[in-house]
Amino acid sequence: MGLDRRAFIKFVVGGAAGTLFTPIPWKLADDASIWSQNWSWIPRLKYGALTADATYSKLCPAGCAVKVKKVAGIAYGVEGNSANELSKGGVCPLCATGSQMLRSPSRVAGPMKKDGDKFKPISWDEAEALLADKLKGLKGQDGKVAAISGDLSGTANEVLSGFLAGLGSKSYYYMPTDQTAMAKAWNGVMGGSGQIGYDLEEADLILCIGADIMDAFGPVVRNQKAFAAKRPMEGDKTLTLVYAGPVRNRTAAVADKWVAVRPDGAAAFAMGLVNLLVRSGKSASLGGFSDFADLAAKFGPEAVAKLSGVNPEALKDVAKALLVAKNPVIVVGSESGQGAGVALSAAGVTLNAMLGSLNVLPEFPKAVASAPDRAGLLAKDLVGWLAAVDAGKAPAPEVLFVYEANPAYSLPQAGNMAKTLRKAGMLVSFSTFMDETAAMADLVLPAPHPFERLDDAQSPYGLGKATYALATAVVAPEKDCKGTPDFILGLSGKLGVDLGFGAFEDVLKAKVEAIGADWDALAGGAVHVSDKKGSTQASLDAGAMSKALAGIKGEGLVLIAQAHLNIGTGKLATPPLNLPTIRETELYGKDVFVQMCAATAKSLGLSEGAKVKLAAGGADISARVNLSEGVMPGVVAAPLGLGRTAWDPYTKGKGDNVCKILAVSAEPGTGLSVWAGSAVSVAKM
Amino acid sequence: MQAKEFKIRWGMVIDVDKCTGCGACMVACQVENNIAPATPEMDAWAGVTHDASNKLRTLTWMLVYEINNKKAFPEYEAAYMPRPCMQCSSPACVPVCPVVATDKNEEGGIVSQVYPRCIGCRYCMAACPYHARYFNWFDPTWPTGMDKGLSPSTSVRPRGVVEKCNFCHTRFQQAKDKARQNGGDPNNLPDGAYVTACAEVCPTGAIVFGDLNNPEHKVHELAHSKHAFRLLEKLGLGPQVYYYSKREWVHRLGDNYLPNEKKA
Repeated sequence: MGLDRRAFIKFVVGGAAGTLFTPIPWKLADDASIWSQNWSWIPRLKYGALTADATYSKLCPAGCAVKVKKVAGIAYGVEGNSANELSKGGVCPLCATGSQMLRSPSRVAGPMKKDGDKFKPISWDEAEALLADKLKGLKGQDGKVAAISGDLSGTANEVLSGFLAGLGSKSYYYMPTDQTAMAKAWNGVMGGSGQIGYDLEEADLILCIGADIMDAFGPVVRNQKAFAAKRPMEGDKTLTLVYAGPVRNRTAAVADKWVAVRPDGAAAFAMGLVNLLVRSGKSASLGGFSDFADLAAKFGPEAVAKLSGVNPEALKDVAKALLVAKNPVIVVGSESGQGAGVALSAAGVTLNAMLGSLNVLPEFPKAVASAPDRAGLLAKDLVGWLAAVDAGKAPAPEVLFVYEANPAYSLPQAGNMAKTLRKAGMLVSFSTFMDETAAMADLVLPAPHPFERLDDAQSPYGLGKATYALATAVVAPEKDCKGTPDFILGLSGKLGVDLGFGAFEDVLKAKVEAIGADWDALAGGAVHVSDKKGSTQASLDAGAMSKALAGIKGEGLVLIAQAHLNIGTGKLATPPLNLPTIRETELYGKDVFVQMCAATAKSLGLSEGAKVKLAAGGADISARVNLSEGVMPGVVAAPLGLGRTAWDPYTKGKGDNVCKILAVSAEPGTGLSVWAGSAVSVAKM
Repeated sequence: MQAKEFKIRWGMVIDVDKCTGCGACMVACQVENNIAPATPEMDAWAGVTHDASNKLRTLTWMLVYEINNKKAFPEYEAAYMPRPCMQCSSPACVPVCPVVATDKNEEGGIVSQVYPRCIGCRYCMAACPYHARYFNWFDPTWPTGMDKGLSPSTSVRPRGVVEKCNFCHTRFQQAKDKARQNGGDPNNLPDGAYVTACAEVCPTGAIVFGDLNNPEHKVHELAHSKHAFRLLEKLGLGPQVYYYSKREWVHRLGDNYLPNEKKA
């Protein structure tokens, strides 16, 4: 029997059909899809023992208590440490990507010295010798050596400021935050001691005047936890949140009530409340209260309406709510967490005192005896000092240390400030990342990433109780970096400045002992909380406040900068994984968006998407317009954290830096540099 | 597709009134699931400059939307709405997949996505009304060195496949393994034994995760609250993700009601 054409076709078709009843075609298709996706350049996962080590992450300003998750000893993720009272298991969007930032392309690989326009790697010994040589001749001359710190809670500041004191310099400054204005008010003008605290956990009403507690004010994750604990889904809420500010921001989005207040009129609004409370019979046991109450009487509802844009009835409603609440707490600050004045802070303190909510945290004892007091340093005006240096009224330092800060980018009128920083004889940056300040520094001495270092946090501003947390090195350093306090302790030894310690670990152990806390428990991720309270004795200076308040005009177009933690902070640019969290109404391609309501846009002849130039303080930025009815008329809101000129391709060159147009002025009566709600002009491009 | 019944239905109740839109859930999701950051270099081959400041091709398994009540100042209100995959009871994506790369067939009701099987036709993306599925346009590329610290939880996907949230499925497997090791019942996990990365990290606890069918799990009661609703409920897909808000306008926006339409 031969194989004819018909039989052949039957055999082929039958065979093909038959294979469909076998696994062969399916296995081949499966293999084809697997192997066509299995390329050498697709990263493979590493497997091994899964562990998690507790530490305190200081990537965000106040820090988050976290556990660093590791696989086979390699850090890959972060989870909240629910056993730690500070953040109770929550993590902010910056600390959530802490493990990835260990290997950020922006990390400084090792100590470097500026050589022309480029950096040249040097050894740590060379760096120490170079600095020792430079500083030897400056010892005993005040103002010749200065330092700027962006870490407001670490004991590292005691080492650095003690070192400067040992060299005979008092020029130690903190980066400006809401704590600066409060310290200037409470510890400076009012003569109080300790640190103002906010017991949000016990509050049944929180009134935020300006302060964006869910995004920019104080320990944000703790604020969020305190809020959420009293707003259960399954029961009745036991907390009312009222936000008084110019923008329906993230705090206002979850608040029960949003009262639109012009940023330049926030102090007038607070004084209006003081006045209404006085008229309801409330008083405060603060020195000079009677004169202050007389001053507040000038801020009747109609006057407040003129200065802050708040309807008189709305002001009265807020005052009524405060009077009815059992534990009301007033939190004052600026929308961006910086640039507010003493007048607003003093009014906030007074309101809390009148309502029985004034809360003062005692300072923890110092470990470095020669270090200046923290409260005094916090009240110092960095922007005012740099302006004086720029104007030639104060000498430019020969050596300027910058620790955990990025002043070249994040100070108001950033362009001018960067120019002033260049006047320093030698700019030394202790930065983990190649930020804008490090990029212009003469010497870059990289600090370890927060997961790689020993560090601590004492009472981050905004907490309701004196609190101490310890950060331990839970991963080996990825780069050739050195703990800044240890480097300074080594340098001080060479210069004959005795700080009483040879290593930073000993400093922290002395601190922990002085506090009466348990080192092992803290190193294991616990937090020390003290129930001790500070003295509430202080005096109001109605004269100074009168001058400060007289400066409020309540008219014209004003700018508010909005700090969003997911975009980054002044010292930490947007991490690569955070870019998708920035909305298209904030950044699209290279364009940053400024927000304004339709009424404001109409008055300026602008429409959605229009390209505009914003100018103030002798500088300008370009942006596009996003119409948002969440911004009150007469106000333009712009996000901070964009327009980076250093860092990496993920961040660099996106949008513009709003800090450039934050126009600084001196608050009348107190002299503090202020820029919250500064005037701005907007022109169509 | 007819709804499949499961003894266990993993689901979420997301409190819109508590979400501050911080984005921590989005970041934690990317870390857990090895979603590579989009870089300008990544698509140099196509001659296109593109990164995460343009959302056209980003991968956001979890995405936080900003919504508002469309009113003018001062009546304007805003809220934030995190959107993972809804793990629908009758998923629109499953019947359209020509290669059965996505299915709903495991106890727990999580809609699977088998990457090696996916041929990248994107029918599922067209079918999903929640825009919860993403096409991987680029090979995953991390900045130099960052790929050393990948999560062991989720395999890295090449370009050309569709990706989506799977309720951190590896955590589900780990929780079941742990239960077995400890002599427990892997099919009756206690509340909190299995939690997604987004729910774990959320600073306000706005995302609550658990078994919707288990009365001992918090989500069971919350999902039955009068304040709970589901997105586009009228489509009948039966999402296993519920939202919770006391604000009427949020409910109306959640189901695309016409301005004068009476709410069901």
